[in-house]
Amino acid sequence: VQPPEKPLQAEEWNRLKESFQSPAVFEEVMFNSMIRCNSPIDVAKSLLTHVAKNNGDIAYNLLVKYLALCVQQGQTSEICDVYEIMKTKFKMLESGSYNLIIRGLSNSDQWRMALTLLEEVKKIMIPSRTNYECCIKAASRHQEMNLAFELYHEMLTKDLVPTLDVLQAFFDFSRGMKGAELQKELFGILLYLRDNQIYPHKMFMRSIKLWFESIPGGNWRGQLTNIKDSGQCPVCNHQLEDSDLTEEEYNNLRERIIRDVIHGTDMFRKTSPQEFEAFQTFVENRLPFDIVIDGLNVSHIKPRKMQCENLFDAVNYLAKDNARLLVLGRKHMLINSSNWKREIMKEMQNKADFFFAENISEDDAFLLYATLRSGKHCKFVTRDFLRDHKACLSDSLTRHLFRKWQLIYCVKSKKMFLSVFIQQPAFRYDCVVQTTGDTWHIPYKDTFEEKYSYRVPRKWLCIQQK
Amino acid sequence: MQSANVLLKKIVRSSVLPFAAQHGMKKDLFPLSRTLSLSLCLKQDNSSSPSEKLDLDGWKKVMKSGLQEEVSETVSESKELSALAAARELLEMWRLAGRSVPEKISEEQLKTFLECPSKSAKKKYLRYLHLRELYKKNDKRKMDEKRERRLESQEQASKTDENKRNSFICLWANCMDRAYSWRVAQSMIFGQPLIFDMSYEKDMSIREVANTVRQIVLSEGCNRRSVDPFHIHFCNLKDDSLYHKEFIKHYREAWGKLLITVTDQCYTDVFPKDKLIYLTADSPKVMKTFDHDKIYIVGSMVDRSIKTGVSLARAKRLGLETAALPLEKYLLWNAGAKNLTLDQMMQILLTLKDTGDWKKALEFVPKRKYYGFVSKPVHQLQKTLNLINTLKLGKRQEEVQKQFAKNYSKKLTQK
Repeated sequence: VQPPEKPLQAEEWNRLKESFQSPAVFEEVMFNSMIRCNSPIDVAKSLLTHVAKNNGDIAYNLLVKYLALCVQQGQTSEICDVYEIMKTKFKMLESGSYNLIIRGLSNSDQWRMALTLLEEVKKIMIPSRTNYECCIKAASRHQEMNLAFELYHEMLTKDLVPTLDVLQAFFDFSRGMKGAELQKELFGILLYLRDNQIYPHKMFMRSIKLWFESIPGGNWRGQLTNIKDSGQCPVCNHQLEDSDLTEEEYNNLRERIIRDVIHGTDMFRKTSPQEFEAFQTFVENRLPFDIVIDGLNVSHIKPRKMQCENLFDAVNYLAKDNARLLVLGRKHMLINSSNWKREIMKEMQNKADFFFAENISEDDAFLLYATLRSGKHCKFVTRDFLRDHKACLSDSLTRHLFRKWQLIYCVKSKKMFLSVFIQQPAFRYDCVVQTTGDTWHIPYKDTFEEKYSYRVPRKWLCIQQK
Repeated sequence: MQSANVLLKKIVRSSVLPFAAQHGMKKDLFPLSRTLSLSLCLKQDNSSSPSEKLDLDGWKKVMKSGLQEEVSETVSESKELSALAAARELLEMWRLAGRSVPEKISEEQLKTFLECPSKSAKKKYLRYLHLRELYKKNDKRKMDEKRERRLESQEQASKTDENKRNSFICLWANCMDRAYSWRVAQSMIFGQPLIFDMSYEKDMSIREVANTVRQIVLSEGCNRRSVDPFHIHFCNLKDDSLYHKEFIKHYREAWGKLLITVTDQCYTDVFPKDKLIYLTADSPKVMKTFDHDKIYIVGSMVDRSIKTGVSLARAKRLGLETAALPLEKYLLWNAGAKNLTLDQMMQILLTLKDTGDWKKALEFVPKRKYYGFVSKPVHQLQKTLNLINTLKLGKRQEEVQKQFAKNYSKKLTQK
C-alpha cells in the first residue's frame, strides 16, 4: 500500500480501509508502509485520530509504530507526548518502545530524559548495548565525559560489548579537552582494544590520531606507516613487541590443550588411552622434533599426484636442513595400495620418524601434543586451520593464545609449481595496540568491515611524543 | 571524512526501519490487536459531527480522556511488582507489541523463562511456548469440528437403519491389544533382544531427554504392533533419572505393565560381549546384513548439537563391535545428518528382521534426506539428477549439483 501524501478525513480513511483486502490489519500495514516511505508525520496523526475516534482507543502496537516514525524523523515533542500517554496507560513498557524512545530522545536536547529511561529499563531487564550506546553518545556530545565514562564502565561490567562507534565517539568528542583523568580513560580504551585484539577501522584511527594531536601541550605527532618484516617502525625506529608467547603463556597453553583437546570430556572420542600412552612414550623417546607434519593433510595437496608422492616431496624438502621430522599418519597408509606405495613409505621412514594412529583416531590432537611437547622452536605443517580444536578450548583467553601460537608456529604450505613449500612469513612482531609511554603503535584496518578473522592488518598508526 | 561519518550515523539510525517492518511480517498471527478501553460517549460524539476540520492531535485527547477512570485504579493497585509479576507484565507488553509470546503462561514456565541464561535463549523459549500454544489451539478447534460432524452423522445414521446385525461384538481395540500383548510376551521368551542404551543423560539437555523418551515410546509402539517383535531391553536405566521421570510422565500406570525388560545394569553384564553390536552413525564399519544371532544396541540419545563420536566412544571403551547403516551405499544422500531418530531406527530394524530387504527397510529414512535409491549405474542417476535440477532449480545450483554428483561417482569408484 502506498500511504497518502496528505492527512485524510475520517471518511477517506474508511474508504481506503474498505478497498484493502484484509481490513483487520489495515492500520498496521499502513503504518509499516509509512515508516518505509518516511511519510509526513501529519498523515500518521490523522490516521491515529481516525482510529481513536472509531475505537475510543489505540492499540499498543500502533503506538509503537507511530513512535518509530517519530524517532525516524526526530520529532522530539511528539516522542515525549507518546511516552507520556504510554506511561499513564500501561504499567510498564517493553524493550522495543524503550529502545525507540531512548534513541529518539538521546538525539535531542531532551537527552537527559533518556538517562532516566535507561534507569527504568534496568528495573526490568539488562539494557541492550544500543541503549547504552545512545546514552553514551548523547552524554559525550554534550561534553559530559565523566557521565559517559560512568555509563561505559557500567556497560562493561554487564558483559556488553561496546561497538566501535561508541569508542570512536569518546575520541571524537574529547578532542582538545584537558585533564589527566580523561586522558587516562582514553588510554584505557586503547588498552581495551589491545586486550581484545580489536583493530580500529580507518575512520576510527583518524579520530584517535586527531585526539592525540589535539591534546593541549601534549606534543603528540601521528603518522601512518607500514611496519617492516623485522618489526621495526620506519617512522620512529622503535622495535615492536615480540610475538613469542611468554614461558608462562606457553606452559599454560600446553596444559590446556592436553586437558581440553586431547582428553576433553571423553578421551575415547578422539583416541584411546592405550594409544595415547603409546604415542606419549614414542614422543618422549625421540624428543625434540623441529617440524611435525600432518601426513594425511599434506598428502592431499596435489590431487593429481599419488598421495604418497606428495608426502614424499614434502618430507624431502623439509628434511634438507637436517631438521628432525615427525610425520603423523594413520595405519591405512601402511597397506600397499594405489595411493600408498610400500617402497616409498619405507624410504620416507629413513628420513623421518613416523607414527601411525588407528584409522578411527584423530591425528590432529597428536599433532598438537607433539609440537607443544617439543618446545617453542617446533613448527607444524598442515593446511588445516584446526578450528574444531580451537573450539574445544573452554575460555576465550586460551583460544586467543592458541590462535597466536598457531599463527607463529604453523608453517602454511602453499602450492607452487615444483611442489616446493613456501613458509608463509610468520610475523616476528605482535600485531596488537601497543605503547611504551611516549609512543603508541596502533594497527588498523583499511576497510570498515573485517573480512577474514585470521588476517591481521598490515597498516599502522605510529604516534610519538616529541 | 566528516560526511562519511554522517552517512554512517544515518545508516545506524534508519535501522529502526527493518525492526518495525519485521513486526509487520508477523501480523498474520495476530489479527486481533487488543483494544484496551472503549468509551461510549466518544462514539456518540463521533457520529454527531461527521465532517469537521481535521484535528491532528485529536487522538491524544481521546487517549488521555479515556484514561481518567483507569488511572485511579492502576495507581492504587500496584506499587511494587515482584520479579515474577514483573516478568508476566513484560510478556503481556511484548504480546501487545506483536512479538511471538504465549497468551497464557504458567508459574513454572515463567520461572524457566527467568532462568534462561541469555536474551536469545529467552526469546527462543517464548517462541517455543507460543508455537505450542498455537498448535494446541488448532488441535482443539479441529477436535470440536470433528465432534460436531460426528454427532450430525450419528443422527442421520440412527434415522436410516436401526437394526443392523453383526456376529462380532464391537470390541476391536481391546482384542487387538490382547493379541499384540500375547505376541510381545512370546518375544520376551523367544524373541531377539534389542537394547536401548540409557546412559546419555548427561550429554543432553532436558528438552532433548524429553524428545528421546518420546521417540522411544513411539518405537515401542511400532515394536508391539509388528508381526515378530523384538524383546526390548532398557539398559543402564537408573531409578529417578530424568529418563525414568519422563517415561512415567508418558506411560503413567502402564509403565509397570509394559512388556519390556528394564534394568540398571549395563548390557555387557547381561549379554556376552561377542554377541553385541553397537549401532552408531560414526562407526567405520558398515552393516552388510541383519544378523539374527546378534544383539543390537541403539543409543538413546537425541543430539541437536551434533556431538560426533559420543556413542562410538562408548562402544570403544567397552570394546564392542560397531556398525553403521549402509546409507551411502543404497541412497544418493542429499542433506541432513546421517543419524536417524529412534523410531525410524526401530522401523528399519523391524523391516530388516522380517524381510532382510535393505530397500524396503530404508524407505523409513526421511525422504528429504536423499534423492533416490542407488539402483542404477551412477551415470544414469547423474542424468536424472541433472534433469530434476533443470526442472526444479536455477542454473547455478545445477552446477553445484553436477559437482556433487561428480564427486559422488569418484567416491564410489575409489571404493
